[in-house]
Amino acid sequence: MGSYIAKRLLHLIWILFAVSFFTFLLMYLAPGDAAMKKLYGQGVAVSEDVLQKTRERMGLLRPFLIQFGDWLWHVLHLDLGNSLKDGFPVAEKLARGLKGTALLSLVSLLLSLAVSLPLSIVSALKKGSLADHMIRLLSFVGNSLPNFLVSVLLIYFLCVKMRLLPVVADHSFRGLILPCVALSIPICSRFIRQFRAELLEQLSKPYVSGAAMRGVKYGYILKNVLHNACIPMLTVVGLSVGTLLGGSVVIETIFRWPGLGKLAMDAITNRDYPVIQGFVLLTSVIYVVTNLVTDICYHLIDPRLLEEGAGGSGK
Amino acid sequence: MGKIRFQKRFSLFLTMLCLTLCLGACGGSEAGKNADGKEKAGGGVKELRLAESFAYPSLDVHKDYYGWYTSIYGVSETLFRVADDLSIQPLLAKDYTVSEDGRTWTIRLADASFSNGNALTADMVMRNLQRLAGVNERFAYLADFKYTAEDDKTLSIATPEVYPTMLSDLSAPELGIMDLDNTKDFDNAPICTGPFVVKSFESEGTVVVEKNNAYWNGAVKLDQVTFYYMQDDETKLSAMQAGDIDGYTSVTAAAKEIFSNSPEAYSLTEIPATRLQFYVLNKNRLSDKVRQAINLTVDNQAIAAYLGGTVSPAVGPFGASAPYGQVTKPAVDAAKAKALLEEDGYALGSDGIYAKNGEPLTLNICYYAARSLDSIALLMQEQFKNVGIKANLTVQEDPDATYVASGDYDIALYCMIADKAGDPYYCVNALYRQDSKWALAGFPTKQSEELIDRLQYETDIQKRAELANRIVQMTIDDNAFGYVGLFNKTTVTKKGVVGIAEKCPFDFYGVNANTER
Repeated sequence: MGSYIAKRLLHLIWILFAVSFFTFLLMYLAPGDAAMKKLYGQGVAVSEDVLQKTRERMGLLRPFLIQFGDWLWHVLHLDLGNSLKDGFPVAEKLARGLKGTALLSLVSLLLSLAVSLPLSIVSALKKGSLADHMIRLLSFVGNSLPNFLVSVLLIYFLCVKMRLLPVVADHSFRGLILPCVALSIPICSRFIRQFRAELLEQLSKPYVSGAAMRGVKYGYILKNVLHNACIPMLTVVGLSVGTLLGGSVVIETIFRWPGLGKLAMDAITNRDYPVIQGFVLLTSVIYVVTNLVTDICYHLIDPRLLEEGAGGSGK
Repeated sequence: MGKIRFQKRFSLFLTMLCLTLCLGACGGSEAGKNADGKEKAGGGVKELRLAESFAYPSLDVHKDYYGWYTSIYGVSETLFRVADDLSIQPLLAKDYTVSEDGRTWTIRLADASFSNGNALTADMVMRNLQRLAGVNERFAYLADFKYTAEDDKTLSIATPEVYPTMLSDLSAPELGIMDLDNTKDFDNAPICTGPFVVKSFESEGTVVVEKNNAYWNGAVKLDQVTFYYMQDDETKLSAMQAGDIDGYTSVTAAAKEIFSNSPEAYSLTEIPATRLQFYVLNKNRLSDKVRQAINLTVDNQAIAAYLGGTVSPAVGPFGASAPYGQVTKPAVDAAKAKALLEEDGYALGSDGIYAKNGEPLTLNICYYAARSLDSIALLMQEQFKNVGIKANLTVQEDPDATYVASGDYDIALYCMIADKAGDPYYCVNALYRQDSKWALAGFPTKQSEELIDRLQYETDIQKRAELANRIVQMTIDDNAFGYVGLFNKTTVTKKGVVGIAEKCPFDFYGVNANTER
């Protein structure tokens, strides 16, 4: 297991280098630059002379490889640099964004699991019943609704019509409710469909009918079914963590929740290379670590996978 | 039996989950109390809650565009300010004189003081201007001026050449004056002279300001103002409807319709502002007659109507109420446009498109998808089609790095602030000069350049307006530019809320001592 983790972490270095290089290159090739975005921020025109001096001060006139090398050198010294837009340290910005996003993602994920797991079990156990049809219909609708629409509907009904929650919420538990629900609905719907399919597959296997015929307790059978369905379900959850961490920009904007998604979006709009690079590094690490943790969970749930993996690599 | 027990446990789990969510949602809190819009923070505190579309990571008045927001928050003030009628009025200054050669400005300061009680001095103003020149690229030119504090309340500014736009420049919000000696944290708590002081500042988030009890220019009516950062239009609309905020600007057409249906609850104020939507016609590619036909075809009244009143039709780059906004342009005339095309050798084809030598008249309209330019491009395309001109639309993410910089367009749509602070020179210089990026379209002539040179050094306000009008009229008569609309500044407030600069065309003014709810 130790060598497996070490190998995966070694891969991470190459992944980070490749991702950051190509991101830097893409941003370099994209039209516009940070100086232009900064100076034209409010729609005020500036002279070409001012623009050039700002570019020079920001180091944007240097060749691509020099700029990338300079950034890389600082990163290797654990310095992500300062934002070109406002001069504040990138690490501080990322830490602030990550705090908001991690909280939002974690609560949304827990909420999604808390709702989707029981509903998918009911749906699988009661296959073909009214409850099953209702759950499948709702999951279909939930999966189809775009985030912004869910958000607007939630605000309209819960805040404007019923006055249960404020539109202007702080960063407390109450402020977390609406963005979490909005973020959870599509994830939950996806989980229900995928969990249900996996549970149905397990329930159709001979060991389940054999155990039932032998009079094994229903709860015990279900425990085994859940255990066996765990690995594919973990894969789905693992993939969702990445999506949650990087893709909640709409939710963050609508609900005024400070997070990584909006930070990255603003950085791209402003061509703020250091922030974009920092974001890419951070999300790459999160993706790789999440996948690694998922893999480790596989092995903990089913140690045979580790043996298979070791055998496979030895061949 | 086992199955029944499991179902019972499962039902219990679901019930508890639902109860937890409901309790969490319905529990009382400050924000919940605000939802009805009646209770004010602190009980008896006269508070106003506004939404802002932008938020910045710092309150340092001199850096970037942060001064716009410290001005909106009522924290910083400038030596002069632009009034609602676009005239420049003294604020921290009492009065001024200009030397005969037009190169030395002497400014006497008002008996103003900072929120910490320290008096505003000429030396402090001088050091503020010098600091601004050092930290903000757009104001680096201020370093070329020579400043002298004649006494505590008199500052003289000597410029290398005649500088007629000095008062306009000194009205820019970035020139807000801070107490440089006593401000410990420029990013979070600048000490300024405005009617409000910073109570709490959340980087790129909510800002709370409270009454400056030592305000030098009269009593401040409000105790506290909270500015919530809200980028999303739907969120702002919902927050207003839910009573969570008392007002905001940049109301969309759809929201405007909703608010105007409840005049008993909301007040809507709409004025033409300073943000201009315009297009440039490329003289290097389009003949005189084709350009004239284009300008006779574009119906900006119809465009403004389509945009739901969010813009006002423009004749020139400046509002018609400004003395330098007195220009005229011909009325829309499709028949004349067609006649001009035919005079230019075009013949109407069977497909309804004019063509010459077998080549259909096709225009390339470049734009970027912001500030309603995408809608305008589509509407123009439709209007051109009606007279027999085919138009292709090319959208760019970054106009300044693509079509504007290259001159690769027939028509380039763009949007910018045309009136920065009560003077026409900034816009004239940015758009019509020979070294401007728009010059690639071929407008500047020797005559226009001479007039712009004269405008640059003319000190008489009336003559400046006349010169500006002549220059803009040339761009219209030459069919080099087309002015589509000036964005309206639309503000919605709850009934009873007044004084949030709702009648001021500039974006950088907000609350003041007389703001009331």
